[in-house]
Amino acid sequence: MIEIMELSKNFKKILAVDAINFHVAKGEIVGLVGENGAGKTTTLRMLATMLKPSSGTATVAGYDIVSQSSQVRGEIGILFGGEVGLYDRLTGRENIGYFAALNGMTSAETAASIDELIGLLDMEEYIDRRVGKFSRGMKQKVAIARSIVHQPSVMFFDEPTAGLDVSATRIVQDFILHCKQEEKAIIFSSHSMSEVEKLCDRLVIIHKGEIIEDGTVSQLKAKFGNDNLEDVFVQMVGDSNGN
Amino acid sequence: MGTKVIKLVFLKELKDIFRDRKTILMSLVIPLVIFPLLFYFMGSSMDRSAKQVEDNLTVTIVDSGNSSLSQYFGGVEEVKLVESSDIRADIRTGRILAAIEIPDTFDEDILAEIPTNLVIHYDNASQSSQMAYTVLSSMIEGYSKTVVAQRLLARDISDDILTPVVIDSRTTVAEEEGFGKLMLSMLLPLMLVIFSISGPMGVAVDLGAGEKERGTLEPLLTTQTGRLSLLWGKFFAITVMGLLSTISSLIGLLISMRQSGGLFQGSAVTLEPVTIVLIGLVTLLLTMFFGALELSISIYARSFKEAQTYISPLMLVSFIPTYATYLIDAKNIDTYFFHIPLANITCLLKEFLAGIYDLSHIAITFSWIIIYIIAAVLFARYMFSKEEVIFRT
Repeated sequence: MIEIMELSKNFKKILAVDAINFHVAKGEIVGLVGENGAGKTTTLRMLATMLKPSSGTATVAGYDIVSQSSQVRGEIGILFGGEVGLYDRLTGRENIGYFAALNGMTSAETAASIDELIGLLDMEEYIDRRVGKFSRGMKQKVAIARSIVHQPSVMFFDEPTAGLDVSATRIVQDFILHCKQEEKAIIFSSHSMSEVEKLCDRLVIIHKGEIIEDGTVSQLKAKFGNDNLEDVFVQMVGDSNGN
Repeated sequence: MGTKVIKLVFLKELKDIFRDRKTILMSLVIPLVIFPLLFYFMGSSMDRSAKQVEDNLTVTIVDSGNSSLSQYFGGVEEVKLVESSDIRADIRTGRILAAIEIPDTFDEDILAEIPTNLVIHYDNASQSSQMAYTVLSSMIEGYSKTVVAQRLLARDISDDILTPVVIDSRTTVAEEEGFGKLMLSMLLPLMLVIFSISGPMGVAVDLGAGEKERGTLEPLLTTQTGRLSLLWGKFFAITVMGLLSTISSLIGLLISMRQSGGLFQGSAVTLEPVTIVLIGLVTLLLTMFFGALELSISIYARSFKEAQTYISPLMLVSFIPTYATYLIDAKNIDTYFFHIPLANITCLLKEFLAGIYDLSHIAITFSWIIIYIIAAVLFARYMFSKEEVIFRT
């Protein structure tokens, strides 16, 4: 579903992503793990066609991110961490509907898709109220619904639980597992090892723009002879720094 | 998909804006009431000081000879005679508005028919004192005329001899419109340029930097829609809001001109439909230009605050050519003025208001405005396509 080939990005003199290669299969959750500034967000932004690669390319659901960027965007859903990025003066339904329309859905398709999501995420009570006064958990659900309303085949999660409390985190994690059940290809970026261990089928470790490891959690643990993923990560990063 | 998406973005932005009470207040309500209030208070404070002078014309007369003139003033109801030991100090403090020094030989001089000198002291930095001076001068002039009339009568000559020519002035603009039109030709071009800058500002800031600050820009960029459709939708929404804001300011200005007791004293000005259409067109185009420019700046800024900081200098710079030409007379404006950005707009609007429709001036100015708009839109497009701008954090 996602095939990344020698993908690089430099910002002026800084090489943010350095010729990375990896793939994600249908129904697979791949954790993109690294420290802050390792290149996780830049990679996801390139895959989402928000940034143009300096060299290399990738295909998402069969479309090339450079030459078929609009089709790629039609196939992806993204959930960001931090600010949920909703329009406070629009209702939940209007927020979701706007993004559905921007993704080329007809109003009938939009209505049906939103109704389904209202049921799935339990939003009946507040979906027609303005988002401004929502709790964080309610906003999170609307943001989730917005990311998936156009039924994308690929999902990107960029540190989606950053700054969330336990119950809001749970909502997001359940949603990621729901996406897996629906056979979507998923890239999940995080620096929380426990979360990664809980959700991901495979990990891609990125450090200073390069991929230093690619394997399942158990493979990595076995390779480094340590059962604690956090220790394994620190060791990998340390090795890569030449310590 | 293009136009459909542009319309979608446009309608969504308008809905969002119209639900924002703060924006409606700032861009529609305040422009509507600001001029009527401002001019009302200016007018009434001018009235008040005029009335103050009328009701309370405090004057000191220094006249040791107790002349016929001081007796004349004593008989005038409006004049309140006040004793003063230091007239200059009393004028300064406002205890008296003016003082008249009448020479001892006043009556003798009048009788002998030799010119006599009279001194009026007043404060030329005070409006009330100046008004008092005007009133007193005209009273003295009236007194002089009666003296002249008596002298002529004594010689058995008609006082018609003093007015060999009688002027009957006829104005090209209806008399009651003259003052209003003069004010309008100075104020309106200036105001329209200012409104075209300030009208779209709030919305431009919200639709660019605001999206960044709220974190809504990034999700927007991940939709199938191209960036250009987003840009156009936003641009049209900004133009519409800018124009509505300008219209509301103009209505405010019209109300303030018609209100009685205001600065314009209700002087009515009627404009021909063609003038209104041309002025409207210039304003629309200018709003589009500033809207695009402000959106470009706004998308570059990281936050509302930063956007406002960047847009303020734009406003100040635009004021220079606008203010530089606002006192210029609409007749015989040199052609080179129509090549100076914004000065050309002010000059053309002045001509329209004066009823001058010079085709070459219109062609030059409109060509420039179109060039400004294209340049501003291309700049906005460039800013929207640049990663360093969009992801500038």
